[in-house]
Amino acid sequence: MQFKNIGNQHSPQKCANVFTANLRGLSKYFLLSFCLLLFIGCGKKEATKDDKITITFWHSFVASTIPALEDLIEQYETENPNVTIKAQYVPTGDALIQKLITAIQSKTAPDISWIHSDFLADLVDADAIYEMDHFIKSNNGLSKSEIEDIYPALLQYSSLRGKIYCIPMEATNLALIYNVDMVKEAGYQDGRAPSNWEELEEYAVKLSKDFNNDGKFDRIGFFLPIFPAAGPLSGWMVWQWIPYLWQAGGYIIAEDQSKVLYNSEAGVKALTLWKNIYDKLNLRTFTTDYDVSFASKLVAMAMDGPWNLPRFNRMLKNLNWSFAPLPKGPVKQATICGGEYLVIFKQSEHPDEAWSFVKWIIRPDIQARWAMKSGYLPVRRSVSEIPEFKKYLMENPNFKVFVDQMEVAQIQRSMDYGALQITRHMAEAIEEATLGGGDPKASLDKAAAKSNKVLQSYWQNAK
Amino acid sequence: MLNKSTRVKKTIINRRDGNGKKNILTALGFLSPTLVIFCAFVLFPVFFSFYLSFHKWNMFSSGREFLGLENYRRLFSDPEFWMVLKNTFIYTLGTVPLNMVIALLTAIILNRRIAGKRFLRTAIFTPVVISPVAAALIWRWIYDPNFGLLNYLMDLVGLPSVNWLNEPKAAMVALIIMGVWKTFGTNMVLFSAGLQGIPDHYYEAAEIDGAGWWSKFWNITMPMLSPTTFFIMIMSMISSFQVFDIVYVLTSGGPLGATKVMVFYIYENAFKFFEMGYASAAAYVFFAILAVLTVLQVKFMQTRAGYEAV
Repeated sequence: MQFKNIGNQHSPQKCANVFTANLRGLSKYFLLSFCLLLFIGCGKKEATKDDKITITFWHSFVASTIPALEDLIEQYETENPNVTIKAQYVPTGDALIQKLITAIQSKTAPDISWIHSDFLADLVDADAIYEMDHFIKSNNGLSKSEIEDIYPALLQYSSLRGKIYCIPMEATNLALIYNVDMVKEAGYQDGRAPSNWEELEEYAVKLSKDFNNDGKFDRIGFFLPIFPAAGPLSGWMVWQWIPYLWQAGGYIIAEDQSKVLYNSEAGVKALTLWKNIYDKLNLRTFTTDYDVSFASKLVAMAMDGPWNLPRFNRMLKNLNWSFAPLPKGPVKQATICGGEYLVIFKQSEHPDEAWSFVKWIIRPDIQARWAMKSGYLPVRRSVSEIPEFKKYLMENPNFKVFVDQMEVAQIQRSMDYGALQITRHMAEAIEEATLGGGDPKASLDKAAAKSNKVLQSYWQNAK
Repeated sequence: MLNKSTRVKKTIINRRDGNGKKNILTALGFLSPTLVIFCAFVLFPVFFSFYLSFHKWNMFSSGREFLGLENYRRLFSDPEFWMVLKNTFIYTLGTVPLNMVIALLTAIILNRRIAGKRFLRTAIFTPVVISPVAAALIWRWIYDPNFGLLNYLMDLVGLPSVNWLNEPKAAMVALIIMGVWKTFGTNMVLFSAGLQGIPDHYYEAAEIDGAGWWSKFWNITMPMLSPTTFFIMIMSMISSFQVFDIVYVLTSGGPLGATKVMVFYIYENAFKFFEMGYASAAAYVFFAILAVLTVLQVKFMQTRAGYEAV
């Protein structure tokens, strides 16, 4: 029968048929190879040789601390040759959480990740992470005194509804960085930093300079971090404002979480201080990054955390600069305590090995080593007893400022619901009162009304 | 033997009758990679987000709570939604006409025999292919109140300096300027194509009748371009409504939310506050608005310009 086909090939239509028949065959191969590709992509990881365990660890450390982290991991891998720690860097905290969400849904979550505690409630509600008691109370756990050695503020931040869900890896807080020469030049002979709000405002004005007499300050006495409320730096702005709220005796939220309190008298005082400085210095036209400006002597004072210390030590060599505690407010001395927290995912295949790594990181000697290399603060009080660390503190007074400040470092009351929205509302109030020229009280009240609405709807749903 | 020959006959018959079906299968085979990607990343999300718009979901949990129309109700009672919608309209009304006028003018100029035509065309088209993020970062420098190029130039001609990105009204203008700069190149190319499609003899006939430049433009160029104009208008309107990346980098929706546009609002609710249901509801309302506007435009243009939208 074959000849028939061949004979018919001369008719154009049949030719076309043969052509499509070929194509049809081709398309099958195409489809097949495509599916194959898909399968290869979805394939399981190959079993590693020698039973070596790989622990994946996601983080967003600032680039300057990555060498310190690598050093830490190398140390751990030499001590534990059967474990490989695969650290994966995600550039921003926001990107990290988005990556985590996809990973959790597609069952590819890492073993360990560092998170901001703002997201803790969501992760716990999704049953994605282990409660730390699962490990703390195991044979390879931590004793009560070891837990109590961790700064209480950090432990509070690691907990949700009374249970610990993460372990702090390092602590941070906020201090004042200032140019000592400029302070002396403005007439403060001892070159010390402002110690209270009145002095802060006074310094801010006196240290500002208009070199070319165009009515605009070319040098800014005190840099206030005012950023768009919807932008990536909005949380950073709120974080720096909160200590002032506490210093005036205020709180963000009521203890029972039924309503927010940041629009209290203390909040108005704190925001008025910022507004006054902002207006007097006309910071509206100051748009450059503060650290670059500080290095080029265009900013005299600002606020920053210890994570920038290694960088500043290199970058600001020809500048006479120093860190000092945040000025004392009308009610008390306070700064905000932050840190990065490690969680262990329930999707992990090696939760116990992951825990061993976490436990190792908070060992006092490792904490001391990590702190000295990275510029982050230790999470445990007993680290200060280590002789090597004591010596380091003597040699690095700027670092000591932060460690000492840990005693007055506070953490915000836990916000189990709507933390992200409430932070945003505060950012809106700060932006409105400063850049927008609004009245501090009115701006705060407006924001608080929004926050309370969010809280109300949560409580209604809970009932 | 008999068996075999009937089978062959059958296949031949099948081939004749089922040609269409088989061809479709063949086509599907070839299209399968694209189709799989299209279904997974376009078709599925479209329907899934419609489903989500009636639910409460934070992406972390596996369970979704059914809310009915609650998300839509909340959306319409949220003053921020109306503000964002207003901002989006201001941006669109600011960019689309400006964009089209500039694109048409450059297209007409570059359609003449002038020196360096190719270079100019490429130069004008360049912003379109620059990554929006990089472009927005460049513009942040241009708009800087202290060291910015724009304020420097304004200073040279004696204009007062403007705090472009920190003044609510100025920031929207800044955004519109950058938006037009970034997109009018595409429209210029489309207009150029439209201009080249107008036969020369119309102009020759008009010239014999003594028509001037304006008369030729108004009576020949514009009517002949109307399909192109209509297409560009709808496409620019849709893309202006969907502006996101340059807003994100240039102003982050600030100052004081003055440049917060619809897609930014949707993004924020979905990926900052993890309110997927609410964000989906906002996306669907936005889609409805766009659809209504497009239909209205089509109706209008059909009666006015006699353009058949197929």
